[in-house]
Amino acid sequence: MNPESMDRILATEEELVPSSGFLASVMERVQEEASAPPPIPFPWLRAIPALVLATAVLGWGGYEFARFALPAAGELALASPRISATLVTPLKEAGWVAGSLAVSLVCWLLSSRLAGRSGLL
Amino acid sequence: MSPIPQSACEDLADVNRVLAGDVQAFEGIVRRWQGPLVNMAWRYCRDRGRAEELAQEAFIRAWRGLAQWRREGSFSTWLFALAANVFRTELKRFPTVTAPMESAPEPSGPALQHRDLEDRSRHEVLRRAVLALPLRYREPVVLFYFHEMDLAAAAQTMGMPEGTMKARLSRARALLRSRFPQLESEHAALHFAGKEA
Repeated sequence: MNPESMDRILATEEELVPSSGFLASVMERVQEEASAPPPIPFPWLRAIPALVLATAVLGWGGYEFARFALPAAGELALASPRISATLVTPLKEAGWVAGSLAVSLVCWLLSSRLAGRSGLL
Repeated sequence: MSPIPQSACEDLADVNRVLAGDVQAFEGIVRRWQGPLVNMAWRYCRDRGRAEELAQEAFIRAWRGLAQWRREGSFSTWLFALAANVFRTELKRFPTVTAPMESAPEPSGPALQHRDLEDRSRHEVLRRAVLALPLRYREPVVLFYFHEMDLAAAAQTMGMPEGTMKARLSRARALLRSRFPQLESEHAALHFAGKEA
């Protein structure tokens, strides 16, 4: 198809006349919007103390976690877990399966991203 | 200096009245722009009911954001850009049912007795094929022809540089041409047959 005929076809489109009730329905919605009470503003004055309190509690929790849990975890790590010999092979296989699934996922994500950029999707 | 078009003055006056609290003044804006907006939405979805819904949504967004219109640009430019944004978002949320380009029917051979009918159906196939283009190419085509092939106006409505718009249009045309390779020869055949007769 040559560009001229494509232009001619796509540029000549029959004009659509809005239905008779269109204006009224738009104005009805506008009136509804106008008469609706204004949105309630976010209560910053009340929220700020609560946010400060929440931050303090979380900070304190984090501090306590660092103080007690991390040294305990270090001690646990020193005692290496004993895994029975029968479990080693299935674990290894599961690792390979997980690895191949991860590679497939990366490939799929990469290809769909490239296809999306090229406009194919 | 070019005179300010009548509708631009009316738009400005109505916007000022609405912002001053006169809700009814918005009716003037809807009255003037309902046709263009419904037609623009129609080109996005080719579904009359949906087109009116989309146009209505665009008017409501315009009502809410009227204060954001900066007066240095024309009201129509602002309104079309806003509407395009609304149509794009809404059609992404609830897409219209469009067949993929590959399933668009091939135009059949020319039938000289029913040339008008033939032409009309072929044109409709092409228009529907536009809807099957990927969004990044579909929207430039829709807006370019909606703005009567004014590249600058279409680029403004999409909020992108003219160069990008031109490149996407060219790619869209190539995609459409690849879908309808025989239309050119068919057109030539019809032209030749017409001359012979």
